[in-house]
Amino acid sequence: MKRIIFLLKTFTLWELFKGMRITLRYFFKPKITVQYPEEKTPTSNRFRGLHALRRYPNGEERCIACKLCEAACPAAAITIDSEVRADGTRRTTKYEIDLFKCIYCGFCEEACPVDSIVETTIQDYHFEKRGQQIMRKDELLAIGDQYEKEIAKMKAADAKFK
Amino acid sequence: MSDLVNVELDGKKIKVVQGSMIIEAADNNGVYIPRFCYHKKLTVAANCRMCLVEVEKNKKPVPACATPVTEGMKVFTRSELARNAQKAVMEFLLINHPLDCPICDQGGECELQDLAMGFGSDVSRYKESKRVIKDKNLGPFINTEMTRCIYCTRCVRFAQEIAGLPELGTMGRGEHTEISTFVEQAIHSEISGNIIDLCPVGALTSKPFKFSARAWELQQRAAIAPHDCLGSNINFHSLRGVVKRVVPKDNEAINEMWLSDRDRFSYEAINSEQRVTKPLLKRDGQWQEIDWTVALEIIASSFENVKHAYGAEQIAALVSPNSTVEEQFLVQKIMRKFGSNNIDHRLQQTDFRDQASLASTPQLGMPIADLENLDAVLLIGSDIQREQPLAGARLYKAFRNNAAKIMAINPYDFDFNFGLHAKIIAAPAQMVENLTIVSPQVQSIIDHLKQAKHKAIILGALAQNCAQAAELRSLAQHIANLTGATFGELSVGANAAGAWLTGCVPHRSAGGAALNQAGLDANSMFAHARRAYLLFNVDVEFDVADPQQALGALKKADFVVSCSPFVSDAMREYSDVILPIALFAETSGTFINCNGTWQTFAGAIPAQGETRPGWKVLRVLGNFLHLSGFEYNSSEDVKLEVQRLAREEEQEECQLASRKQAYEREKLDPVGRLKRSKLATASEELTRVSYWPMYRSDNIVRRSQPLQEMFALQASPEISISPALAEQLQLHAGDSVQITQDNQQVIASIQVDPKVPAGVVYCAAANRISAQLGNAFGTIQIKKVAT
Repeated sequence: MKRIIFLLKTFTLWELFKGMRITLRYFFKPKITVQYPEEKTPTSNRFRGLHALRRYPNGEERCIACKLCEAACPAAAITIDSEVRADGTRRTTKYEIDLFKCIYCGFCEEACPVDSIVETTIQDYHFEKRGQQIMRKDELLAIGDQYEKEIAKMKAADAKFK
Repeated sequence: MSDLVNVELDGKKIKVVQGSMIIEAADNNGVYIPRFCYHKKLTVAANCRMCLVEVEKNKKPVPACATPVTEGMKVFTRSELARNAQKAVMEFLLINHPLDCPICDQGGECELQDLAMGFGSDVSRYKESKRVIKDKNLGPFINTEMTRCIYCTRCVRFAQEIAGLPELGTMGRGEHTEISTFVEQAIHSEISGNIIDLCPVGALTSKPFKFSARAWELQQRAAIAPHDCLGSNINFHSLRGVVKRVVPKDNEAINEMWLSDRDRFSYEAINSEQRVTKPLLKRDGQWQEIDWTVALEIIASSFENVKHAYGAEQIAALVSPNSTVEEQFLVQKIMRKFGSNNIDHRLQQTDFRDQASLASTPQLGMPIADLENLDAVLLIGSDIQREQPLAGARLYKAFRNNAAKIMAINPYDFDFNFGLHAKIIAAPAQMVENLTIVSPQVQSIIDHLKQAKHKAIILGALAQNCAQAAELRSLAQHIANLTGATFGELSVGANAAGAWLTGCVPHRSAGGAALNQAGLDANSMFAHARRAYLLFNVDVEFDVADPQQALGALKKADFVVSCSPFVSDAMREYSDVILPIALFAETSGTFINCNGTWQTFAGAIPAQGETRPGWKVLRVLGNFLHLSGFEYNSSEDVKLEVQRLAREEEQEECQLASRKQAYEREKLDPVGRLKRSKLATASEELTRVSYWPMYRSDNIVRRSQPLQEMFALQASPEISISPALAEQLQLHAGDSVQITQDNQQVIASIQVDPKVPAGVVYCAAANRISAQLGNAFGTIQIKKVAT
């Protein structure tokens, strides 16, 4: 009996139609492939991507060179030098993040008492030359200036959970 | 054992000295009680109330710092009552304290921050506005942020009890209390920097250090301060190869937990613009950078040429008394192996007559810590408070705690923070005269010394440097013998003892053995100009006693090598080759202090540019000169050789004994000796008396910006005369005068100062005017210039 059923299935291509049925079912289902980079998946407000340094609305940089991010960084990716600026405030002369060392843990953002260093949702960036992975202060500030609106929105959206 | 009482501390039964406070008992038994105002070196104030603890049978908690232990006392430091009291005090302290820890330099090493973690609550109940206080200007060393102050009054008590200057005080009461300087300006203590360490919060922080690093990222390396003969222990705090600050390292025998401002802030010179980082060669009047090999080859061949043409005794070497034992020894070794005995480190001295009879090293004669136990002290030619600030602080303690009678025989009436019981202010020659004839004043001083139990006679820099040094020294020793007082010298520089021991004197070899033929001393090597000079760590224009004579000899010389961390215009003028050597934070070495303590340290940061540690430069120079015995691998090797030589010399008992005999003979007959020697000064001539101001004392200090700012603030006059002389010459303060010395004429403005004795022109050394003058203790003429 078993042999007969087996022969029947073999000659009627039963297994093939069984497989094709699944193909047909997915053929009419909605597609989930994201056409990166034209399309992107949505990211969380807490996504930890490329870093940025923020400014206050009056244009003053937020960073006060407290070096807490440097101390909190488990990968020792942050290097800061500080000094007394001409107006007597505490400011950085050097703020560098080595993105090759960085493990994107977000501790720097958590340590910052003035919400200066943040991790944006930017995840696609590349370096062409050796040394470019070390983000300098001016570069980080420029990213902050460019994406301030998004950063502020993200921070506001996440504020009630902190 | 009767003075021990039984106390129960947190359930632990302990025995405590009667009369001690609960907090001391707790500290000694490993129980921590939180505190702000209590400090073991200061008196008890009990005003922060942080150390409240529960004592059995007491309804209310009591302050542990001000409650003496009693028999059977039961103390609970962590009971609910104590804990609640401490938490409540912390809440009050935090009411007015700003939340600016991220920008506060104390952040990370702040006692308030630490204790707030343990005793503070996470949310403040205080919603009202906080109090704000205007900052004070405390000069170039101390940065103030008075809003952070919690009124522990440690700084106030330090100023009164240790520094001896009631400069800081509290004004107002309650909410309106403020720490203030009585004169709202720089505080003129030479140990003021210590209040930075004392301040438990960030109200008083270091100004040169301001915002440059955080406490947790600094690397700590122990070292020895290179400025005075105490050899204060310091810690360098460096970040990525840059020294960010210097803090004291506890050493009860030397500096306790304090540090003089000079030791604390001189590190700023490390990054001075005048640092030289490559070997320099003068070719046809032009300076060019060269390789080390080329530089050393040129030096070796030039020295050999001079030796062949004129003999080795035409070469002379001058070493700074602030150089390390290793450096001094190697300079000495090069010179002696090369065949010249012309080496000296006594840059500021003018009288070398008694050098043969001196002990192997200048010594204080008692442990530094014993200075505070003295009952009577005679200072001869010493401004101890500014020459060795921490020794001065010890004397102040003796004055304050034992009511010590401090007496002085000085050529200037120095402002001491301790009161002088008796003083003789006279020109050096008159000081000698007074002591020789035993004037009534001297007799009363001797009587006071005789009556005291712990007594000492201390010879300071002015006595050692002046033209009558030999007489003053033997007379001082004579009085010490008469009265049973300890005789001590506080020598100039950090390592004068090392220089004596390593043979950086013309008449003794390394280890201290007398030489058959003495070379030329620091003065005569310029008076009898030599063909070639090796200058080690010396700014000739500022460091030597007779700059004009020295500069003249150097300009005439065929070849001058300067090994120096810094380069100055004058150095460019007289040198032919400049070798950059590492500074005190960049080299390893040893200093021997005035107690004969050897203190070895390692480098804290890498040497700048192509500078090399001095001992390495000298070692290789020895190789280039084809001298034997220059195969050292480390500064430790050099030190071991010096120690071996010193030990061998100690064993040469007979030689030492014979020297001692000669010494004793001299000591017993100082008066007869004086009659044999001639007193140089005639009474109608004016004598110049020069002092090296605290912040001009060596090449490092002179290049430290905060110290120089303080020096400028102090505005010490360059030349001052007594009112009597001013009247005689019809001069007024601020007048321009023409100063003539050894055919050198300088125009300078003059100050009239009642502290200057008659017949003395009191000059600051190590400045532009003194650099143009002659002998620091010679005769001088003053003439009014018509304006």
